[in-house]
Amino acid sequence: MTIRQMISGVKQGRLSRRAFTRSLLAAGIVPVMSSPFPRRAMASGDGHATVFTWGGFDVPELYQDYIEKHGDVPDFAIFGAPEDGLTRLRSGFVSDLIHPCMGDIPRWRQTGLFQPIDISRLSNWPDVIPSLYEEPHNLEDADGGVWQVPFDWGQTSITYRTDLYDLQGEESWDILWDERYAGRIGMLATGDDAWWCAAIKAGVPFEEIHTDEAFEAIAAVLREQRPLVRTYTDDTSSLNQALAAGEMVAAMTWNSSAVELTFEEVPVRFAQPKEGALTWGCGFMLHAEAPNPDRAYDVLDALISVSAGEFLTGDYGYGHSNARVLELFDDEELAALTLSRDPMDILDAGHRSIPQPPEWSARMNTLYEQIKAGF
Amino acid sequence: MTITHSSDGLGTTGARRGTSSLRRLLARFESLRGLALLAPTLVILGITVIVPFLLMSAMSLWTQIGFDYADDWSVRNYTTILSEPLYTTLLLRSLGMAMAATLLTVVLAYPMAYFLAFHVHRNKLVWLIIITLPFWTSYLLRVFAWRVILGYEGVINSGLMEIGLIAEPLNVLLYSRTAVIITLAHAWAAFALLPIYVSLEKIDKSVLEASADLGEGPVMRFFRVILPLSMPGVIAGTFLMFIPTVGDYVTPALVGGPNAQMIGNLVQLQFGTVNNWPMGAALAITMILSITLVGLLFLGLMYALRRWAR
Repeated sequence: MTIRQMISGVKQGRLSRRAFTRSLLAAGIVPVMSSPFPRRAMASGDGHATVFTWGGFDVPELYQDYIEKHGDVPDFAIFGAPEDGLTRLRSGFVSDLIHPCMGDIPRWRQTGLFQPIDISRLSNWPDVIPSLYEEPHNLEDADGGVWQVPFDWGQTSITYRTDLYDLQGEESWDILWDERYAGRIGMLATGDDAWWCAAIKAGVPFEEIHTDEAFEAIAAVLREQRPLVRTYTDDTSSLNQALAAGEMVAAMTWNSSAVELTFEEVPVRFAQPKEGALTWGCGFMLHAEAPNPDRAYDVLDALISVSAGEFLTGDYGYGHSNARVLELFDDEELAALTLSRDPMDILDAGHRSIPQPPEWSARMNTLYEQIKAGF
Repeated sequence: MTITHSSDGLGTTGARRGTSSLRRLLARFESLRGLALLAPTLVILGITVIVPFLLMSAMSLWTQIGFDYADDWSVRNYTTILSEPLYTTLLLRSLGMAMAATLLTVVLAYPMAYFLAFHVHRNKLVWLIIITLPFWTSYLLRVFAWRVILGYEGVINSGLMEIGLIAEPLNVLLYSRTAVIITLAHAWAAFALLPIYVSLEKIDKSVLEASADLGEGPVMRFFRVILPLSMPGVIAGTFLMFIPTVGDYVTPALVGGPNAQMIGNLVQLQFGTVNNWPMGAALAITMILSITLVGLLFLGLMYALRRWAR
């Protein structure tokens, strides 16, 4: 964070507690320093559902229907990356809902910490785009329901400064490997994004990502990139500020960074690399021992409502699972957000990660950490 | 309960040794009093430090397999730590950076403590409060403040650009080992300052007068009288500062770049994203052992220095 931004942030009332916590979260600090119990959990006693999610998704705009019904937002607990969240659930923390991505479902189900969601209890369910949940691993053994209610979808790609980065030829993942800009490249710290993007860059087909050759090829490109990287972080605020200041010229980000920077009139583009972007969909899973299941269903219903989707797409630039949300935006607006009327246009145009066993995740994360540390 | 137990235990050993003299008895009661005073701390220490330490030692001998642990009691994690350059490098780097930060802090804190002890005669409390004022804010805020100071558009860069010394902001300030060392040195300074101040404050002023009367100049007086007498404070400050900074992970996470990550960051990752708790435990134990080793070496060095000085 820079002084100038801080001052302008304070002036415009934008330097929120949220932005601050988000920075800390990304560094993995809050989960450790804060109590494992959700905010207000002790004092409330009013049985609000607890939502365990990413920083930035704890805003009232996403829970309008729930607020109307129960008078207040649900309780929140925040993780920096879903894998951290799972670690905490496995060590005994109980939340009603948690927010992983599609590729996580089979592995997470193996922990036995989740229960299928009864879709007949969700009034907005008929509007949910079927292609976002019709995955075998999301439907099997779910008693006619789903394991995960889809919520947000989008891309992991490159946000670059159009005025500072001299693009030669087509947009490509090579932007993040451009030696002309050594020390001015930003990278996401989670392997869940970076590893798969590096696989695209290395030309490794996702079907083969579990092989030893794939591990070697991907590690090689990431090692090659490391000297160019200013910092590895999951803190989108840090990346956004570095891009805005010109400290970085390009960074691996999600949709929201480009949208937020464009709002601030920073000349950036969310690249559509010729090799294809990494695409993802995320959603909410219900804890097997959810203390407030009824409220949890109300939260889910609020999340997949049109009002939540309008905010998610309009303000954060992410796709939403409710088909009617897309009707609120015209084609031009959607194209500007790099979204499409049919999520599959985007999701299938890019590369979607394929669920992997826990052993793979452990190996990948260990190796990525080694590479980040310079080995 | 604990008190009764320990008193029984000591009482019987005392009796067996047949220590009947009044002095021994008093001494015994004194140690009993000491134990009684220590008891609450000991109980808390037992529950919050020793038990977790034992659990962690046990866990470090397990192996993570997928989401489960294999409790097959192997030293595999330790052999990995010793054979993979990643772990040893990060460990050595952390020890080195903590030493640098400690040295920096002690060197900077000593004159402050000296001034406070010898040249401030009125309102010492006010001075102490002023000097420790930064420590009234949270540790995190202090680290963030350094981000603001060292940042790309931060105080130093804007200042230098304003005077025209540089045209482009310096990239090397933030996200570097130097940034981590500076931040650690500032964030933990009070832990070194206060023990040094206390030991300087305790020095009997008449000793100083005596050395002056015997013809010692101010420089020699400092090296032959003040410094040796304040060494306990310096050593205590060094330990108080060095031990926690080796394992610090907040600072490198926020102001260190890819090249300034420390062993604490690695431990945190094992318990988080990497999800290998046994390895995290093994790393933590290795860290504790290396800190102990370095601490003992330091004490040995100090002891040798003292003998040599005589």
